[in-house]
Amino acid sequence: MKTNFYLPLWILLVSVLLSSCVRDTDFDQAENITLTPVVELNLIYFNLKANDFFDSITNTPRLTLRDTTELPFLDDDYVQEDLMKADFLFEFTNSIPRRFDVDFQFLDENNANTYRTGTDVAQGSPENAQTTTFTQTVEGNDLAELTTSSKVVVTVQIPSANENLEGELNLKSKTTYYLKLQN
Amino acid sequence: MRNILFCFIVLCASTVLSQNKAVLFGLEEVPQNLLLNPGSKVPQKFHFGIPFLSQVHVNGGASGVSAYDIFQESGGDINARIRDKIFDMDAKDFFTINQQLAVVDFGWLAKNKIYFSGGMYQELDFISYFPKDLAVLAWEGNQSRLGQEFDLGEVSTTGELLTVFHFGANKKMNENLTFGVRAKVYSSLIQFQSIDNTGTFTTRESTNGINIYEHELRNINMSVQTSGYASLRDADGSAEVISEILGRSFFGGNVGLGFDFGATYDIGRFWTVSGSVLDLGMVFHTNGVENYESKGNHTVNGIELIFPPLDDNEPAIPYFSNVVDEFENQVGVDTLQNSYTQLRPVKLNAAVEYRFGRGRGDACDCYNMSGAVATNQSVGLQLFSVFRPKGPQLAGTLFYYRRLWDFLSAKATYTVDPYSFSNVGLGVVANLGKFNAYLAADNLLRYGNLAKAKSVSLQLGFNIKIDQE
Repeated sequence: MKTNFYLPLWILLVSVLLSSCVRDTDFDQAENITLTPVVELNLIYFNLKANDFFDSITNTPRLTLRDTTELPFLDDDYVQEDLMKADFLFEFTNSIPRRFDVDFQFLDENNANTYRTGTDVAQGSPENAQTTTFTQTVEGNDLAELTTSSKVVVTVQIPSANENLEGELNLKSKTTYYLKLQN
Repeated sequence: MRNILFCFIVLCASTVLSQNKAVLFGLEEVPQNLLLNPGSKVPQKFHFGIPFLSQVHVNGGASGVSAYDIFQESGGDINARIRDKIFDMDAKDFFTINQQLAVVDFGWLAKNKIYFSGGMYQELDFISYFPKDLAVLAWEGNQSRLGQEFDLGEVSTTGELLTVFHFGANKKMNENLTFGVRAKVYSSLIQFQSIDNTGTFTTRESTNGINIYEHELRNINMSVQTSGYASLRDADGSAEVISEILGRSFFGGNVGLGFDFGATYDIGRFWTVSGSVLDLGMVFHTNGVENYESKGNHTVNGIELIFPPLDDNEPAIPYFSNVVDEFENQVGVDTLQNSYTQLRPVKLNAAVEYRFGRGRGDACDCYNMSGAVATNQSVGLQLFSVFRPKGPQLAGTLFYYRRLWDFLSAKATYTVDPYSFSNVGLGVVANLGKFNAYLAADNLLRYGNLAKAKSVSLQLGFNIKIDQE
């Protein structure tokens, strides 16, 4: 009589525990997990005065200004694998009465060319600064080239300059990185 | 195979509301009940737990999500389900694992009517809150959330592996009151915590006009404390790591001290109230400590080019390194070796019980007509709370206890906690001669499909036990 009662109880509890399982699930789906964050980051900026384009010591114009910065993250493995697209936005504000040629040349660590882009900047005046917005979307083969880069050379060319030139050339820029992170 | 593995992981690595042993609390037939309330009534005069088998306790849970929520087969895109869950959960949701294994457990009734008990158990405890803002940032990026302050202070996690050596005394003070206390010495094998963090990360359109955006880190005060971790980095392979960790079991790492208190009070013949405070203590981490800390404010505007007139052989200015250096100066991570004190998660239990049904034991305790009677059934209410980094977590339990025969008792519970409103548990204790065995589990409604359970808790054990006459 006693055994009739307690045995089923034990069996019930033990069997519930033993029969416990995980159903209606498919953990293979983990392979499909994909993160697609879109990241906005500042890039470079500068603020050039008109007199930067004239060497007052030698009294000669400096028609080409050039500077270089490392961007060591561009050729990281995870950037090479996970970056799907990059949108560059360059925003120039020019109050110098000259137009400019601005060139962005990306180099790899051996200083070999990888990717190049550039734009004309509209002429402005000290009273009326002109804004030039330049966007560049990089994907596909170009992106593969870009992501072997580790530095960028920025070249600013002015057609002519003299000591009386006034105004400023200002650049702000950012990059939008479209990432795809997969398991 | 993967499913079996998952069952195994859930069962082995996993407790509800970390450490709420609702079924076991107040179950006097189980000697390890004294670990939940040192002031419990003690029916036995001697017990000895089968080594490594007197109490096995596993519990794991996630307050906001189950495996089924993410990995269900019912079609649809897993990424959409993850996204929905990220936005559905908040920073108070948590993931937790608690596991205990009694190595040695014993007790005896001394001549002075004090029941002494002691032993050693191993405990693993882990909790991590869900850092929602960081999850959103990782999932979506910052483009769609310009201007939003991402709260880095949501990061909150602790984990520890320790052995506990304990010794307690329990005495029936008078007809109504039983009181008990237990002292504990903690031997910490490894511990980490990252709590009380603050800070925000914001990307917004520039307010200073320098560049297009400003990326701002503000009021950063983030830290991670570790003990017993730094020396493992030099260990060669997992076998060496395991042997080094286990080597600290007997005070080889860091030590701490704690106390449990508990009492049971009979009100009249049918009502009993009981309560306990557990792990009121701390561990002092002085050996093998390594802490990481970041404090400050910083705004990143980008890389400023100044076009210096350089000769061809002059190196370019290391603009990028300068930006990184400035960042590290302002909000970089410092590595420190400061000792720290860790509070153990304090647990509170309280219960009220009403007894009814047939009397048991002696037909009539004629000298004690006003004292509590022992009956074969009771119902009651239990409350449990554990103090966690972001405040106490609470659980309420309704229970029904029935002593089926002298050798067999059962207790059923219904628990409401942060995980669910449908947690039904069941425990069974058998006394077969001097042999005592028990098995308790909750969330039984979910055992049919563990994937849908947000938490699982299981305790079982075997003892040699001799009851008082």
